[in-house]
Amino acid sequence: MSDAVLVIGGGPAGMEAARSVADLGSRVVMVEKRDRLGGTPDEAGYAALTPSFESAEEALDRMRAGVVDRPEVTLHLGSTVVEASGEAGSFSVTLQNAKGERVTEEVGAVILATGFQHFDPGRETQMYGYYEHEDVITLVDAEKMLKAHEFVRPSTGEKPRNVAFIQCVGSRDRRIGNEYCSKVCCGISSKQAIEVRRLVPDAKVYIFYIDMRMYGYWENQIYWPAQEEYNVNYIRGIVTEVVKKGDRLLMKGEDTTMGRPMEVLMDVIVLAVGMEPSLGTRSIASIFGVPQNKYGFIEVPGEPMDAVTTGVSGIYVAGAAAGPKDLEDTVSMAGAAAVKAVGLLRAKAKGAA
Amino acid sequence: MSDFMQRGLDKVQGVTEVEEAVIDGIDVSGYWSRMLEERTTLDFPTDALDWITGLAGGESLRDCYQCGKCIPVCPIQHVGDYGPWKLFRKVQRGNDLMADPDLWLCTTCANCLRVCPKQVNLLEIMPALREQAILQGSMPDELGEVFANLQKKGNPQGESPRKRANWATDAGVDVPIISELGRKVDVLLYVSDYTSYHPRGNDAARAMARVLTTLGVDWAILGKEEKSDGDSARVAGERGLFEMLAEQNIETLSKYEFDKLVVMDPHAYNAFKNHYPALGGTYDVMHYTQFLAPLVDRMEFKDRVELSTTFHDPCYLGRHNDEYDAPRKLLEAIPGVELIEMPHYKKNGYCCGGGGGGMWMDSVVDPHVSERLSERRVREAVDTGAGTLAVCCPYEPSRFEDAVKSTGHEGQLDVRDIIELLDRAMHPTHYNTSEAEAE
Repeated sequence: MSDAVLVIGGGPAGMEAARSVADLGSRVVMVEKRDRLGGTPDEAGYAALTPSFESAEEALDRMRAGVVDRPEVTLHLGSTVVEASGEAGSFSVTLQNAKGERVTEEVGAVILATGFQHFDPGRETQMYGYYEHEDVITLVDAEKMLKAHEFVRPSTGEKPRNVAFIQCVGSRDRRIGNEYCSKVCCGISSKQAIEVRRLVPDAKVYIFYIDMRMYGYWENQIYWPAQEEYNVNYIRGIVTEVVKKGDRLLMKGEDTTMGRPMEVLMDVIVLAVGMEPSLGTRSIASIFGVPQNKYGFIEVPGEPMDAVTTGVSGIYVAGAAAGPKDLEDTVSMAGAAAVKAVGLLRAKAKGAA
Repeated sequence: MSDFMQRGLDKVQGVTEVEEAVIDGIDVSGYWSRMLEERTTLDFPTDALDWITGLAGGESLRDCYQCGKCIPVCPIQHVGDYGPWKLFRKVQRGNDLMADPDLWLCTTCANCLRVCPKQVNLLEIMPALREQAILQGSMPDELGEVFANLQKKGNPQGESPRKRANWATDAGVDVPIISELGRKVDVLLYVSDYTSYHPRGNDAARAMARVLTTLGVDWAILGKEEKSDGDSARVAGERGLFEMLAEQNIETLSKYEFDKLVVMDPHAYNAFKNHYPALGGTYDVMHYTQFLAPLVDRMEFKDRVELSTTFHDPCYLGRHNDEYDAPRKLLEAIPGVELIEMPHYKKNGYCCGGGGGGMWMDSVVDPHVSERLSERRVREAVDTGAGTLAVCCPYEPSRFEDAVKSTGHEGQLDVRDIIELLDRAMHPTHYNTSEAEAE
């Protein structure tokens, strides 16, 4: 019997889960493979959050403050889980740091918050040429430029005249194996399109899409302003080929609202890469024997009414380890997972007494 | 190689229509040359969209997210290949619409705005764009003539302003002119253009005079001082002309005292209610159906009018000003009238084609439609089985009566203004006498 909850992963899901468990008065053991908290938004250098445009760094700092220097939280940075055994109420988990030093923690419940990784555009089946053309970049690459408050053609350092975002790269694609929608890319592309128009007012910015998936308030907070105030051009139809023409990129596709082909020269093409389970999510699932779905994300059998309980008793999941999630989903799941984990500990403690 | 094939190799980028083109002896000028368009889009030029959305009134065109809801409700789409979204796509492809026939097809019926989730407002976009086309000198000749008439004569027909109240002679009752009364009246009746000058409009004007008199209303008209309200010129793109007419009417009205301004024409009602206030003319304005509907209990009907009737909602009374009940209340009050609604009614009423300058542009619109909107509407009315098509907009009797003939339904559908039906039930002897005289 242990009174601690193990939180694996130090991104938004993990930080929120750890803070919530601590706020509920239970002990937290937190493990993060990098040397700092923040997860993918930190590692990939997100600039502004969608849809609020709030600084990602400031938002992450607030989250960090919720877990560091708290008596309830034992933090293992630069460490990973290498072994696990036991069952709900009494798991024994072995952690290892970069030096190879091991430590074993006894915990009663586990929250998996190991997140996602961005789709590698080298795997896409169209001819987008991410690894051939310098000016074909991903949302992540674009975000880095935007964080530095510049947006240029990587090949020349000049300001672009035409910028295209191509949606659904690595998502909604049976051939690739990712049949799901990655949920956030439409919003992030639109957010970046606004930022590009702010930085390069003379640039024409296009978003080529199959369906714009701007659910809830993203519709009026991101999509409509992008179109109405920032004059972003939304063209329905997906690009199927990018070829070099002179020093620019010739983008070929079908304009499906007009029912005719398009061949338009672009200076920068941003691929809206979707989400895949991170390596950490895949390995942690096998270490704990937690069932994964066909895409490798942690399976959540009780969905939609229980979004956090995995197929193994005492183990919960929060955030994009369970599939494509936005930040609202992620922190909501973290809170729910914390409540369920602490609830389990208390039920076990009561049973033991 | 045939001319056609050679032509086929040409790139006609950015050109949606060739004004004059004869290929292999076949005339494919204008509309028919759309087949010559370059198929592949080589650019998405934003100049046209930027220019249009930079015009006062043109702003909302950019907001289109291409859901296409406007297309099935657009009356032109039922008889042709046109709709607000299609217009947007043309603009997105670089067409500024200045030389495009589509610019003159919209009747400003407001059915697209009713369904548009983004409130793309053709009622503002169209006048703004047409104004630019007029400034560039590319307006249809038919419209130019009407504008000249409005400017010189104060009415679209080019009739003498002195004849504006000639209809009153045969009204059978005294028609007071406010300048001659020299006192305040309860109701000033704004007769409007087509009611004043068109023979079928005259019938409605005289019926209105008799009904008001029998009801004991203290009323008068402006007589030859009345000028066109200008609303259709406004939406046809001549805002300057509209303002001129409005200022003249406002000045005339300022000379007299009256409680209510009652108008026969929904277009005039729209102008007085929604556009004159900004120019300094604020009135307690009512469409005649709104004025009469509360008075039905005071109406003494001397005869039953055995009629199955359908009713055409005028766009400018219904969708533009949200009045659907008053005309129906009047119709239902008439003993013997059975009202059968058409499939398109009230908020989804089908346009007669007369609004937005359409009244004056049939010859411009005809080449782009399979039939006139009035013809389509008449077919819908005939299909209800009703023998009478009741209307309450003076644009309609002439439009629908022409359409009854052209669709081969002569004798099957009688087009009547509601005021004529009321008058007939209230004053049957007048009709009996008239008919006797006619024989």
